[in-house]
Amino acid sequence: MNPKDLFLLSFEALVDRKVRTLLTILMVVLGSSLVVVLNGLSAGQAAFLEKQFNTLAANVIFVSSGQRGFRDASAGNALIINNVIIEKMKSLPLISDVIPEYAGSITMNSQGNTERASVTSIDPTKLTVMLPNLEYVDGSTVKPNDRSAAIVGDTIVNPPGAANAFVTLGQTIVATSTYSDGTGKTVTVTKSFVISGILKPSGNSRIDNSVIINLDAGNDLLHKLNKYDSVIVAAATPDDVDTVQQELSDTFGKTLGATTPKAIMAVRQQAASGNAAFILMVGIIALVVGAVGIVTTLYNSVTERIREIGTMKAIGAQNTTILALFLVEAALIGILGASLGLLIGIGGGYVMSIATTTSPAGGGPAVHIPPIFIPMDLIKVWLLSLSLSVIAGMYPAWKASKLSPMVALRRE
Amino acid sequence: MTKDLVVEKSTQNEIVDNNSFALRVESLSKIYDSSAGRVVALDNVSFAIKRGEFVSVVGPSGSGKSTVLNMVGALDRPTSGKIYIDGIDIFSLNDSEIATMRNGRIGFIFQSFNLINRTTVHKNVRLPGMIAGMSNDDVNSRTMKILEALGIADKRDQKPVNLSGGQQQRVAIARSLINNPTIILADEPTGNLDTKTGDDVFDMLKMLSHKFKRTIVMVTHNPELAESTDRSILLRDGRIEKDVIN
Repeated sequence: MNPKDLFLLSFEALVDRKVRTLLTILMVVLGSSLVVVLNGLSAGQAAFLEKQFNTLAANVIFVSSGQRGFRDASAGNALIINNVIIEKMKSLPLISDVIPEYAGSITMNSQGNTERASVTSIDPTKLTVMLPNLEYVDGSTVKPNDRSAAIVGDTIVNPPGAANAFVTLGQTIVATSTYSDGTGKTVTVTKSFVISGILKPSGNSRIDNSVIINLDAGNDLLHKLNKYDSVIVAAATPDDVDTVQQELSDTFGKTLGATTPKAIMAVRQQAASGNAAFILMVGIIALVVGAVGIVTTLYNSVTERIREIGTMKAIGAQNTTILALFLVEAALIGILGASLGLLIGIGGGYVMSIATTTSPAGGGPAVHIPPIFIPMDLIKVWLLSLSLSVIAGMYPAWKASKLSPMVALRRE
Repeated sequence: MTKDLVVEKSTQNEIVDNNSFALRVESLSKIYDSSAGRVVALDNVSFAIKRGEFVSVVGPSGSGKSTVLNMVGALDRPTSGKIYIDGIDIFSLNDSEIATMRNGRIGFIFQSFNLINRTTVHKNVRLPGMIAGMSNDDVNSRTMKILEALGIADKRDQKPVNLSGGQQQRVAIARSLINNPTIILADEPTGNLDTKTGDDVFDMLKMLSHKFKRTIVMVTHNPELAESTDRSILLRDGRIEKDVIN
């Protein structure tokens, strides 16, 4: 029998049992789309993280106040980072720069529109120490000593989904911050800023989502009382990072936390890799469930079509022809299920990435991490779904091919 | 196995007849052993059927007539004895060669038609040709000629389930003819039909035998139909009781 006739016979058999066929295809669709969605989201997340850390200079160390450990009672109290500490850090060897910063969140009002945003209060001339490739849009000026000047990230200017820019160069915004005065009263601080600079998209979501003001302005607006939230320590060269990190640890003990982009990246990559393995297992289990559905469907089909199989054999069909008929049915279910699964998985990946869009801790526009679908991964999922379908069809197909024609013809 | 292979095989086996017999059954026995005991379904049955002969096999239930038909159709293997179709010892063949034998040299007509209801009349009839690997043009033109000869060409695109019993049996007859088989085996072909339709179907088989010289072996319970065939073999308790020319 030629392949076209074989295909048509199998196709007609599937169409004849529309509902059951569709439900079986649905099982494969669910399995393959789940693998595609999870893979896409996982790849998107990994790429996002990599992009974040690749924007950072290789010689920086992030330093923040240490915290009393839950398990380690010997850990000291958190160190208050003030100018004394900053000077002490500057005196350590192999350090080229020490950049303190305040962080917080504000409500911004621009021409009647209100948005929440993160604030990074830092010497704006030092931004490029942390992000060497940082660029400004034309017309921007960095005014380090101007307490009323603000630089804004690209996402603040162009919030996702907004038709118009939230702010423009030279425009004034009103920033409002609140804090508790210690007696339970909430104090509101309001300050006006003129937008002196706009950053081009940096790839670093923290900076892209931030309003950057100088240290004095931040100290007042966020009511920090000269206590810095964190410090960026730049080692003289990338090779000195480990030495400087050790030096900081030796000098300040556990009262300070110091970590490098490389270390953060490694931890996150390790977590992502464990996550990816788990995700793959979930997807494969879903595919196996789909394969069991195919076994059930085709096995029922063999039982129901036993006289047909007997007739086919009586009129001369070879065992291999019967085997091929059922395997083609399994393959068709696999092809349709895997192909639909891929399409739905890709669509679902985008929908889920939008649905899981989160706002940064400090406020500001939500960060959308788009999924990434690698063609080779999609091909692998498609082939895996198809292979599992064909493997699942083997037993029913073999059973059908081995039926004695006489026994099959006698069956009611 | 292709027809060439069948020819090749025939040269390896003893050629018992030289074209005069389409079918030769020699000392055929079939014994079923089961927990219920030993049942002799066929006991040393021998007969031969000439080309173009229309033979009926009759007998009471349990006489062994269906067993004979199953053996001749190579659907079951005997305990002992031989069957030759076109001079080929069919049980010397392996399973694949037997399937090719059934496809090319045997046409089956079943009591309950055994058509594939999800597909059209045309596709049902061409199925053995498709299995044989005939070209689409050949199988389509042959299918249409047979459907026209049997008066059901206008039903070609209908599904069998939408046809009357008589029409369905005609489709089954058409299917049995598509590969121009040496012998047509009909198992109670009128058993599921009313008398008038049954007579029409029987007349059609008779026409095929007399006009187109088809060799037909028909199992029937109906003594009147049996008497209208060229020859009747009466089986009783697994043995041939009578073999009469009508």
